[in-house]
Amino acid sequence: MAESSGLGDLPQASVVPPKRGRISVIWIIPILALLVAAGIAIQRIRSEGPTITIVFKAGEGIEANKTLIKYKDVNIGRVTAVELTEDFAKVQVKAKIAKHAAGLMVFDAKFWVVRPTISLTGISGLSTLLSGNYIGFQPGQMDVSQDYYVGLDVAPVITEQKGREFTLDASELGSLEIGSPVYYRRLPVGEVIAYDLTPDGKGIKVKVFINAPYDQYVYRETRFWNASGIRVSVGADGVAVRTQSLVALLVGGLSFDAPPFAKPSEPAEANTAFTLYPDRDSAMKAPDPVSRHYVLYFNESLRGLSVGAPVTFLGLPAGEVTSVGVAFDAATANVRPRVAITFYPERLNAMSTSTADDRNLVSAMQDEQKRRDFVRRLFEERGLRAQLRSGSLITGQLYVAFDYYPKAPKVKVDLSKPEPELPVVPGTLVELESKLGSILDKIDKLPMEAIGKGLKTDLDEVEQALKSARKLITDADTQLVPPLKANLDELQRTLAAVERAVRNADTTLLAPDAAVQEELRKTLQEFTRAARSVRVLADELERQPSSVIRGKTDPTSGGK
Amino acid sequence: MSAREVSAAQVGLVSCGTCHLLSRPAVPANPGYCPRCGARLVWRRHNSIQYTWALVIAAAICYIPANVLPVLRTTALGSTESDTIMGGVIFLYQSGSWPLALIVLVASVMIPLGKLVALAYLLITVQRGSVHKSHDRTRLYYLIEFVGRWSMLDVFVDAFIVALVQLQPLMSVEPGLGVVFFMAVVVLTMLAAQTFEPRLIWDAGRDLEVSHG
Repeated sequence: MAESSGLGDLPQASVVPPKRGRISVIWIIPILALLVAAGIAIQRIRSEGPTITIVFKAGEGIEANKTLIKYKDVNIGRVTAVELTEDFAKVQVKAKIAKHAAGLMVFDAKFWVVRPTISLTGISGLSTLLSGNYIGFQPGQMDVSQDYYVGLDVAPVITEQKGREFTLDASELGSLEIGSPVYYRRLPVGEVIAYDLTPDGKGIKVKVFINAPYDQYVYRETRFWNASGIRVSVGADGVAVRTQSLVALLVGGLSFDAPPFAKPSEPAEANTAFTLYPDRDSAMKAPDPVSRHYVLYFNESLRGLSVGAPVTFLGLPAGEVTSVGVAFDAATANVRPRVAITFYPERLNAMSTSTADDRNLVSAMQDEQKRRDFVRRLFEERGLRAQLRSGSLITGQLYVAFDYYPKAPKVKVDLSKPEPELPVVPGTLVELESKLGSILDKIDKLPMEAIGKGLKTDLDEVEQALKSARKLITDADTQLVPPLKANLDELQRTLAAVERAVRNADTTLLAPDAAVQEELRKTLQEFTRAARSVRVLADELERQPSSVIRGKTDPTSGGK
Repeated sequence: MSAREVSAAQVGLVSCGTCHLLSRPAVPANPGYCPRCGARLVWRRHNSIQYTWALVIAAAICYIPANVLPVLRTTALGSTESDTIMGGVIFLYQSGSWPLALIVLVASVMIPLGKLVALAYLLITVQRGSVHKSHDRTRLYYLIEFVGRWSMLDVFVDAFIVALVQLQPLMSVEPGLGVVFFMAVVVLTMLAAQTFEPRLIWDAGRDLEVSHG
């Protein structure tokens, strides 16, 4: 082809393409890659917020590149490193905060580890159970930004909820937990948000949060009590079971109410401290304004008597045992059981249906001297005594009972001391024991041997006496009976003779025609006549006493 | 070597890049098409070194985000976890399955990097006209070409997992941005291997123009 054109002198095209000075289009690819990579890098860097350091006591469940920081359930950061602090005492967590949340990292922001909490009151942090713990966050109020924080041990109180916080002083925590419900008239109105030991370690401070509409029912006079558990009281009228809700039964809870005797004044201020009572009864107990302290020295075992045991007065609750111990008396080298009691006279006053006069007397009790006099007379004249009694034979719990024992030995009571000693009588069981003991002692003291010996000789003598008696009887049989029989025969004969004689007398004396009777009749007639004559004579003599001398005159000229 | 080595181009012949049939070019400027397989015949690939360099550099740029950015984002029960390639290797090693860790390390980290280094080495030696170890370098090139396709294994597995593990809302797997860059690295290195002209290894020290004349 080339020959026919005749253009043989045309330059030969080179086989290998000449090296071009210009840059190929292919370079767009690396430039594009570079741009994309750089773009991503820039975006990354720009979206990256500050790195903060949080110090926790322990790194429980915190993992680098995994644990998130969440606020309102939105991720605002991620833990990048978990390491120990320089002194190896704590855990230092480094976290990258998202750019959009960088403004939240202020001076008083709070961090804490959210762990799954499963309780009967509810489940919180359920997602942490599966995804691991995360770090909770609460923004602060200040404007000063910061990148070093100390993590909280427990989640802070959620401040967004309206309501008020109160402090309760308890002797023990019981079954309370954070989140345990607080009830007002069995309506859940709040919860336990924190608890801690008091600095001296002698009590528990429980913080409760009462939600907004209900916090107005917390007055200054309000009493809080532990509402957990069942309260079963067995009374004469049956068994009474008192519980709060089932939840409180299982997980514990608190309840509050104003006691009936106190008039609610005004709602309590936030953070007011209240006493946490163990149960409703003690919470609702009216305060005892007057209390008298006495000491009792019992001469018996105090086993079963505990502090708080009731003190009854004639069977009515009137006080309680405040201490149980022993008293040392160096002078007499004696250790005596000592029981201190507190007596609340107002309780008895409340129960009295006293007349106006008695009330006057009660008001007169305000006068210390009169009161002492009254109490002294109760003990000295009426025989009031304290006694330890068994409240229950099964448990052996004792209580102190005041009752009248008029036969008790007289004592003098000195009420001028701050804690006067009151007279006691031995407990019923103890008394019974001592009586039985003394009886046994007496039996023990009997000269049983001597008595036995004497009895034996006596019995011997009796035996001998019986022997001689028997001999006597046999003797009598042999010696006395035959003459006796003869005597009896003679007696029989005599009696027969007597009978005969009597029969004769009958015939001679008593028969109507008996000679004796005839004679007697005649004699009596004679005697009647004689008596008549005498009467005539007596009459004559009465009319004419002189006739005895002058003789009988004519009755017609009588009186001359 | 007893016989004088001569390249096809030096004697005015062109070999097919596909079936390696040695044929006479239609015209030297435009060799035409292979009579056997029909592939377009070229004396030498056009701008091979520049193209390869561009692709190698692009791959090298992409290699960094491919390893820094997560390739998989696993969301299991509320917790999201992002894994990079090296993170996966470390996790596998720490969980005791070091053979798996080794496979992943070799296939996903070392081979792409090795390819980049090897291609750069080939390019530099060709540009410098080095005549040393031409045999080894040729073998290296074919190794690169062979291995290249297997590097997509990672991307493949990633795509499978993402497609299969979609147990919303319990668990879901999303591809991370890193996998895109990783794929770019693999594709770019493969292209770079394609654009590289292995015949250039042997052209060093020979004057193609002279043979023509």
